[in-house]
Amino acid sequence: MSRIITIAGKELRLLGRDRAGLLVLFLMPAILVVIITLVQTNVMQRSGLVKTRALFLDLDGQAVGSALYKLLNTENLHLVGGNKKEKTAFDLEKAVRNGKYQVGIVVPKGSTKILRRNIAHLFAKPAQKNEKTPLEKVRLKVFFDPGIMPGLRAGITARLQMAVQTLSFEAKFSALEEVLKKASAELNVPAEGSPLPAAGLRELLVRPVFSLSDNAATVPSKSGGYNPVQQNVIAWALFGIFFTAIPIAGTMIKERVSAISDRLATLPVTPLQLFAGKIAAYVAVCLCQFLLIALLGACLFPHLGLPAFTVTENPAGILLIVLLSSLAACCYGIFLGTACKSFEQASTIGATTVVATAAIGGVMVPVYAMPDIMQRISIISPMNWGLNAGQSLLMRGSSLAAISPDLYRLALFCLLMIVLSRLQQNR
Amino acid sequence: MNDIKFAVEARGLIKRYKNADHPALDSFTLKVSQGEFFGLLGPNGAGKTTALSILCGLLPPDDGTVYILGMAPEQQATKIKQILSVVPQEIALYNKLTARENLTFFGKMYGLRGDRLRARIKRCLEIAGLTDSADQPVSTCSGGIRRRLNLVAALLNEPAVLFLDEPTVGIDAQSRRLIHRQLQTINRQGTTILYTTHYLEEAGELCGRIGIIDNGRLIEEGRPDDLLSTSNSRTLDELFLHLTGTQLRDA
Repeated sequence: MSRIITIAGKELRLLGRDRAGLLVLFLMPAILVVIITLVQTNVMQRSGLVKTRALFLDLDGQAVGSALYKLLNTENLHLVGGNKKEKTAFDLEKAVRNGKYQVGIVVPKGSTKILRRNIAHLFAKPAQKNEKTPLEKVRLKVFFDPGIMPGLRAGITARLQMAVQTLSFEAKFSALEEVLKKASAELNVPAEGSPLPAAGLRELLVRPVFSLSDNAATVPSKSGGYNPVQQNVIAWALFGIFFTAIPIAGTMIKERVSAISDRLATLPVTPLQLFAGKIAAYVAVCLCQFLLIALLGACLFPHLGLPAFTVTENPAGILLIVLLSSLAACCYGIFLGTACKSFEQASTIGATTVVATAAIGGVMVPVYAMPDIMQRISIISPMNWGLNAGQSLLMRGSSLAAISPDLYRLALFCLLMIVLSRLQQNR
Repeated sequence: MNDIKFAVEARGLIKRYKNADHPALDSFTLKVSQGEFFGLLGPNGAGKTTALSILCGLLPPDDGTVYILGMAPEQQATKIKQILSVVPQEIALYNKLTARENLTFFGKMYGLRGDRLRARIKRCLEIAGLTDSADQPVSTCSGGIRRRLNLVAALLNEPAVLFLDEPTVGIDAQSRRLIHRQLQTINRQGTTILYTTHYLEEAGELCGRIGIIDNGRLIEEGRPDDLLSTSNSRTLDELFLHLTGTQLRDA
């Protein structure tokens, strides 16, 4: 054990004196996670995977404007009140076209007045109606970001139509209630004799008779839910972790080229102890990488207008995933170091395989967004096992037992890499 | 049980590399007594490094047996590693570590700790004349310092058997002289040394016995003076060319 600690200490000392290597290991994933998360947030806003920002310009300033604001400002639609920078429909259209908001809604001036006039007209006595004059409609204006996904656009349009219908029905039921009240009074109909209650008719008619259960409600409340930060922090931390395979391979090749490995082979230390020392050092580096990226997610992201990274549920589970992924990356590095003849070969093969497994594994594009064939292939990527397990804990609130198949895969991958490395050394 | 009077014994070693026309070692047999300073000479590609690699356990032979102080490497590898040391031809040191850090690391690999380790490192730095540059990174040291450090890193375990593969290549006369003196001192203290070199004069000066290897076989061995007198050669160079021919081997 003391030999393993000595080897690990030596590896950490060598790495500490390699500034370029440290930059690649720590700065690269840190920069990537910030950039990709910001980029993906924009994409997710356009696709509706996060709360859509809508600019609401209420030029009416009366009942219709405020009622529409209340009806639309719900869970997935974040209404931003205009009237400050964007004072006209033209300003609003410009802001949406520039991608500042995904949707812009304008409630024109006088909307409440027009609605009231129309309702009054509908329930007026025939003698009072002027049928020749066409009714003026309340003309709401909606602007969509050109890059918005069609599904999100359809969803927002449907929500707007529903809000408008609700407003329209409520206004009609209120007017009907008034008409009925007046009629009952004029005809002296007792309240108990009327087929419809004169008072409270509006409340009765708008009372919901359907319920719609959302399956997402079954997700435990503590889990973070899907957002680009929860997705990217774990994804790019894994990417950085797997990149450590290249410096590990590099140290092994350097030792071989300079005959240090020959010297080590004649010392009373076994090849497995040498592997274990290297793995212990680089697993510590991987844990530091994860900590750095998690801290960036928790502390820096909120300042960039992103949600904070949270591990509220099962932090031990996340640690286990990071530990097993780090072991898998280090064992892969050991294999590369034994199989490749030169550092150039190891860095080319290492970088290509890490980027490819990241792409296949869903680090760059979530697996569900990939074509069917790629989704089937993604199962071969060790990064997919770590990512899948991490997302299950962070976003779906899964238990450790539920993610155990992915953990077993990572452990088996480690074992396979060590066996292949020993076979390669003995060749 | 093998006779323990030999520190190093190789019997009928055969080693054939893939796609090679001839075996690197062809029934190579060698016996080096305890306390001996033995020089193994040979032209390029004669099989010196292969022989040394098999003797110190880096390479398995295709056939034949090796004994180090009567112990077979395949049965007692750990014991052999405690008493044997190898100085590779290359500078087998970590460039980014200092001389002291390198020695500390290799010392700990031998299982040395605490005061014992510190004392051995101090002694090794004195042997190599590196006391003043002990805390300098190896990458900033001169070629001579690196060579000396490469040598003393193999002395940390006070080996009973020391293998050296051309340890004085590419260094100045002063460093070479220091290394020679230290090796002679170590040998006098009882360490068996098996030494390969291209410098025949050096071998004649240092070694009690030399062996000449060519085409994977030991073709001549004995005390340098005896070999010169029996072959009527004036110098070891003449003897060497007489035995191995004048044809270039790495052309």
